[in-house]
Amino acid sequence: MKQTLIASVLYITCFSCFTQNDSLVNRLEEVVIQADKKLSKHSVGYKVSTLSDSVIVRNTESFTSLLRFNSPLYLKEYGAGGTSSASFRGTSASNTAVIWNGININSINNGEAGFNSFTVSLFDNIDIRSGGGSLEYGSGAVGGTIHLNDNLQFTNTEQIKNQFVSSVGSFETYRGVYKFKLSNSKLAINAGVSYNQSENDYKFLNTDFKNTNGAYENYGFNVSAAYSLTKFSKLKFYGANYFGKRFFSGELPNPLTANEKYQDFSHRNLLIYTHEKSRLNHEAKLAFLTQEYRYFEDRTISTFNFGKSKRYLANYNVSYSFPKLKASITSYSEYESAFGKTDQIAERNRKQFSQSLIYNQKVNSFVSFDAKLRKDFNSDYDVPFTYALGVKVKRIRNLFFRANGSKNYRVPTYNDLFWPGQGNLDLIPETALQGEFGFGYKNNQILIDIGIFYIAAKDKIVWTPGGDPDRPSVWVPINLSEVNNKGLEMSLSFNKTFNKHTVTFNANYSYTVATNKATDKQLIFVPKHLLNSSLGYTYKRFSFFYQQLFNGKVYTTESNSNDFVIPYYFVANTGLDYKLLNLQNKQLTIGLKINNVFNKYYVVRPRRPMPNRNFNFNINYKF
Amino acid sequence: MKTNKLISKVFILSVLFLASCSDDDSPQLPKGDYENGLLISGEGSGAGTGSVSFVSNDLTTTENLIYKKVNTTELGIYLQSMAFDDDRAFIIVDNANSVTVVDRYTFEEKATITSGLEVPRYMAVVGNKGYVTNWGKGDYTTDIDDDFITVINLDTYTVEEKIDVAIGPERIIENNGKLYVSHKGAFSTNNVVSVIDLSDNSIEEITVGYKPDEIFVNDQGELIVLCGGNESWTANGETEASIRKIDVSTNLEISSLTFATGEHPSLLVLDNGALYYDINNEVYMIDENATALPSTSIFEPQGYLYGMEVKDGKAYLLDSSFSDLSELNIYDLTTKDKLDTKSVALGASKIYFN
Repeated sequence: MKQTLIASVLYITCFSCFTQNDSLVNRLEEVVIQADKKLSKHSVGYKVSTLSDSVIVRNTESFTSLLRFNSPLYLKEYGAGGTSSASFRGTSASNTAVIWNGININSINNGEAGFNSFTVSLFDNIDIRSGGGSLEYGSGAVGGTIHLNDNLQFTNTEQIKNQFVSSVGSFETYRGVYKFKLSNSKLAINAGVSYNQSENDYKFLNTDFKNTNGAYENYGFNVSAAYSLTKFSKLKFYGANYFGKRFFSGELPNPLTANEKYQDFSHRNLLIYTHEKSRLNHEAKLAFLTQEYRYFEDRTISTFNFGKSKRYLANYNVSYSFPKLKASITSYSEYESAFGKTDQIAERNRKQFSQSLIYNQKVNSFVSFDAKLRKDFNSDYDVPFTYALGVKVKRIRNLFFRANGSKNYRVPTYNDLFWPGQGNLDLIPETALQGEFGFGYKNNQILIDIGIFYIAAKDKIVWTPGGDPDRPSVWVPINLSEVNNKGLEMSLSFNKTFNKHTVTFNANYSYTVATNKATDKQLIFVPKHLLNSSLGYTYKRFSFFYQQLFNGKVYTTESNSNDFVIPYYFVANTGLDYKLLNLQNKQLTIGLKINNVFNKYYVVRPRRPMPNRNFNFNINYKF
Repeated sequence: MKTNKLISKVFILSVLFLASCSDDDSPQLPKGDYENGLLISGEGSGAGTGSVSFVSNDLTTTENLIYKKVNTTELGIYLQSMAFDDDRAFIIVDNANSVTVVDRYTFEEKATITSGLEVPRYMAVVGNKGYVTNWGKGDYTTDIDDDFITVINLDTYTVEEKIDVAIGPERIIENNGKLYVSHKGAFSTNNVVSVIDLSDNSIEEITVGYKPDEIFVNDQGELIVLCGGNESWTANGETEASIRKIDVSTNLEISSLTFATGEHPSLLVLDNGALYYDINNEVYMIDENATALPSTSIFEPQGYLYGMEVKDGKAYLLDSSFSDLSELNIYDLTTKDKLDTKSVALGASKIYFN
């Protein structure tokens, strides 16, 4: 009990900074059980921001939209609802890792996560950790990591909570989420189902076309549970299932040609046993994950291309604490066996063992640090030895300083290695050294965090014609480019309540210069400037919000030709909520949201206009 | 009213008179900005739209994205090929299922045809009709036998009919009232050349090597076909590439030059009695009547060779990039010296003399 309390207190002091104040209070009263302890325990010196439930509810249209308006990430999307990827700090989509309850779930086929292939509304909170995290999360955690977490809670009294969220919107969009939580002092169960459906046939502004063939529907079903076996030990289970069907919309000048269809299925299961006694903590994990996509070049034809993977993971972690030193040392051992195949690649088995050690110490009441080491052994290639260090100095007259440095990597994907005729078995993982220094100010109302980062990546895998001298004129992936990213990431949040008025303001700004060392030009699809901000105002039962995004110009060619750019864009959403019921154990809220309120034309990928002004009416009932 | 008509008639007559006079003694008025030069079409990619570049014959002027500049819209991806008649160019964009008709010298858009096309590839112009090869539906590994030729009326820009053909029609040329279509195989692979008699649309198929692509009729009236062959990793396994000659009166093979296993040429140019082709990014040349293939290349061009033309003793080679503008390198065929380099369309693939 004490241990978990300490853990949750630590959690709060580490990165309460970015959480909303309302959720803070809850965490203190109850014991939050997390699947992923690394995030809370070993993020010293990193910026971690949390998207709380109230923020998630504002951007239910997609994970893409949620991140685009509320995080420092840059999202690329093939039209609203289409294939989508995210990147931190000018790195690539495969350098952004998505972590589900502590497990890296990027595809082994292409190394990326599809940001329109998750139902985020089922997760209790989403954490965004900027900076390298390969040490904790393995391949692809180069620019940063996005964490999807289920939070289970034991409560002293038995509690049952239900939440039902439903919405109807433009373009025949219907969404429904139902979440159930049961808890007592020994057991906690969360379950949730979600449904999303949209014709998504929005008008392309300034043209006679619509977003043809853009419809989607998906279902999500998550369940998690924790059971307290003894005073010291717990058993936890996490499961997430997703079924999605999407059509890929067309692009100008003739969007009517679009007829592709895409299906994806994922099942994730994780079992954790923990034993936590005063100084020695053990944790054992077993996970089984499957993922499959089916790509139909033509929706009217039943044949498809596919990719499938199965992953088995076994994990043993042990940590020992030194109370006098206020220190702990933790060992993480993980074995993974992954099977991947596509219609082009026969099934391959990749095995990996990784071992990491993390030493954490609170030097005094101001200074704490993490020192970390990791080595992986992989059946397909050599993975470099990685290391990381994070330091945080806090609360010197509300000021804090943080710093971190790490070596990170991204392994070649199955496609890179095994694509028939084109794969390259000689590839080695991309590696990136990165450093960050941050400082900020925090009091009860304001939090400012400014981080300056530098990433030096080498051996970046690039598909190049004639990349292999033995296969001239064949497109082959090779370890080619060196890339340096530097820039600034700023966030600001402000929160003030007076009488019955509450004002909140959040902003993220990032300035990124990412250059290819060979050409000294800005990388393609990396905006120099990215700014999003949101303003919320609550008075009694009313609340209003306004969120906006400025996305700077991006180049789409390596030479930064001004003939091939995506112009900067500015887009804003707004909404109004009213609480019809506001009782202790029953709240009913209705809301109206207007997306793209100024009806601006903008594109995120060339020739793919994004939605015009659209409306969404929603009901949120908690009981 | 009447006087107006009279004046206009006089004006028209005088214009006609002047025009007919001017043929002999005064230079022709320029037909547009894009006359007397090369048109280079680029397929485009995720990095940018398919486009057309212009390079003047004297190599002093280069202009990229000429369609976008004149018409302010983009062609989209992937710009597969262009076809021409006397005053029009037809731009075929396969992902957009479109044939865009422009004035070949000014590049002003006249019409865009988007119906009756499904992954259009190449077009032949015969009189007032355009014949466009289409892959139809399919995916990487399987194909569906729904491939066809679209017949477009070039006066009205409407689709007149579709001719059903074997899988994977690619290049199309006309010779003596017949269309010759190479069936490279679209999403999979094929090994036929279709001969379509335009008098009754009857089709005869000639079996050739796998992946027939470039086809020409030489001065002797023989059909020359480049068959690229299947790469070893493809579903059908390695097959040899060849250059075949076919007698168009009997549709029988006259001769075949077979490449070594593993060599898969994809470009072929016929110029002045010589054939130019590529293997592994190098350019080779043989006499069109040669009976054996040479062992040494004439060029090892830099970069990624993706398009080639030969004219007046010069070789025009495209070093194509799909992430950026491409380069057109011009070589003197006698000295083998590189004469010039121009920055041209993204994903440049074809060169046309305008």
